[in-house]
Amino acid sequence: MPSSLSTPAAPASLSRTQRLRLWTAVRLGDAAALASRLAGRGSGASIRGQVLTRLDPDAFAELLQGHRVLAVSGTNGKTTTTHLLAAAVRAGLGAQAARLVTNSDGANLHYGIASALSQQPRADIAVLETDERVVSDMIAHARPEILVLLNFSRDQLDRHHEIKALGRSWRRALDAAGASGPTIVANACDPLVVWSAGTAARVIWVETDTVWHADGALCPACGSLLVRVPSAGRDRWDCPGCELTQPASDYRVDGGTVVLPDGTTVTPDLQVPGSFNVSNAACALAAAVEFGIPVEAALTGMHTVTAPAGRFATAQFGATSARLLLAKNPAGWAEALPLAASDPVVLAIDSVAADGRDVSWLWDVDYEQLAGRTVICTGPRAQDLAVRLSYAGVDHRVEPDLRTAITGAGPTVDVIATYTPFQALLKMVGLR
Amino acid sequence: MSPVEIVLVYQSLLGIYGDRGNAMVLRQRLAWRGIDATLTVVEPGDPVPSTGSVYLLGGGEDAAQISAVKGLKADGHLFDALDRGAVLFAVCAGFQIAGNTFTVGEQDDVIEGLGLLDVDTRRGPVRAVGEILTRWKRPDGSEYLITGFENHGGFTTLGAKAKPLASVEIGVGNANDGIEGAVQGTVVGTYPHGPVLARNPALADHLLERALGRDLEPLPLPELDELRRQRIAAVRKTGTRR
Ligand SMILES: [Zn+2]
Repeated sequence: MPSSLSTPAAPASLSRTQRLRLWTAVRLGDAAALASRLAGRGSGASIRGQVLTRLDPDAFAELLQGHRVLAVSGTNGKTTTTHLLAAAVRAGLGAQAARLVTNSDGANLHYGIASALSQQPRADIAVLETDERVVSDMIAHARPEILVLLNFSRDQLDRHHEIKALGRSWRRALDAAGASGPTIVANACDPLVVWSAGTAARVIWVETDTVWHADGALCPACGSLLVRVPSAGRDRWDCPGCELTQPASDYRVDGGTVVLPDGTTVTPDLQVPGSFNVSNAACALAAAVEFGIPVEAALTGMHTVTAPAGRFATAQFGATSARLLLAKNPAGWAEALPLAASDPVVLAIDSVAADGRDVSWLWDVDYEQLAGRTVICTGPRAQDLAVRLSYAGVDHRVEPDLRTAITGAGPTVDVIATYTPFQALLKMVGLR
Repeated sequence: MSPVEIVLVYQSLLGIYGDRGNAMVLRQRLAWRGIDATLTVVEPGDPVPSTGSVYLLGGGEDAAQISAVKGLKADGHLFDALDRGAVLFAVCAGFQIAGNTFTVGEQDDVIEGLGLLDVDTRRGPVRAVGEILTRWKRPDGSEYLITGFENHGGFTTLGAKAKPLASVEIGVGNANDGIEGAVQGTVVGTYPHGPVLARNPALADHLLERALGRDLEPLPLPELDELRRQRIAAVRKTGTRR
């Protein structure tokens, strides 16, 4: 094991009172989780976290103490990237893999993170998926060593009215952390990410295969229209109004390969599909290497990741074998739609809080690419999708019930779902 | 006869709420009737064509609003097109910039708009977010429900030259004053997206009829009737009536 990994985290320094309160909150959280499991309401992780953080409001900050933290955030790809990074670190730890804790279930708010940490009190290395809204708290309380920033795009605009506001909070937090702040691993192709990381002491830039550019029209620093300039066979972005420009990359995604800082090329042998996951893997690899994991070990670890929190999992619905894809926003759909190759294909749409209550994003997604195939529209907002598909000239039928829509769709079918129906599907097949 | 040109203006700046859907709906509703129609997408920096029949502005953030006003004023062709009778349909942030003034930023800086609608927008006491249902009086006097989703922090008040588009049954609308949208000549501004023309085909056809100067034949689409039935029922179940 590399020497940098054998360094244990500094132990937590909590007062007796704090320890007692935390211990009690953790026990009661566990009890609530057990009750929830016995009642058949899923894993209980969510209720555990909620009880825990309600009884000890400082649990998030306290539990983070005593950990060397690697955090992952961004609009899309957080869960998969967290799994890839955790697998890379686990491979690097070898026999000491029990030192690692991660929130592999995708519960990435304060209570979800607290819940995961409370389950492995002996672990001292934490790989944590972190919601965009929790990043600034994470920087302030966890002093993470590494923070991966994947991308920033429109998502649930009924809740996050301005995309830039989150970036502004990251800048403030990184600025306040100063030299003791995290090393950032960031997507150089995303102007909002680059600007948000602008106050960090140290950044490792990854040139990715980003397909979604619709939220990067204006310079986040000065409001000028960004321009794209050709550079070595591909475009890079630049602001004509100020000094913000696409930074020179340390790591670079090139097709299915990743070019390392020393110029060597590696090919991640991934079991998760799509070019966007190569970009996610490149970010995870950069973070792992920065943490002291050898490249080979990191790649070996990442190869083991198959269906992070159910994403890309294949499940049986009657005689139908369904591959489950999650798409939470237009950028996510732009990635997921080309993967869905089946005919028919099932698309599940909902609009409760976790999906975004406003489905106007349906018109930002290029459903026209499905022309020639049949779409089975399902979920509570199936009718909105049906109208969208009529205007797109795509054959479709509506079957509001999820299970009915998939069962009997054919021997194999690809299903793309927004957050709530995706979770419902995982539950139906026992993956959650 | 040359095709009817629908012009989607500055989609990358003003298109955050699926606003390109309105343009797609207009073009397709003409195509379904056998009327030749094209969709021109103009990005900032490109010249705005003055040959369009219907121009569309959508939703966007503060910096995008400022940039769009600057671009459209420098270009000038939108104003020419409206002078010769083209229709402008402006949604959300687009509605705000079509007016006299609007505000941006934490300091509420007042920015001069395009001056195409006699309205002014200032930051409201609360943000209006949610399903909205309004009553639009059509040119023939009949009433038509407009369903959509509103998401705006600005409250808009009408001057003497602008008339309301609709009255609010559920939702906030312009300024929680029972009024939604504004109409002035061939310029129509409104807050609901959804996109609004996908959910309200009669409004889409009205804009086209204004632009073409003639009536269009009805276009029955049972799927759309069902969507409207669902959305209207949903908002009446959960929303608070004025
Ligand atoms: Zn700039």
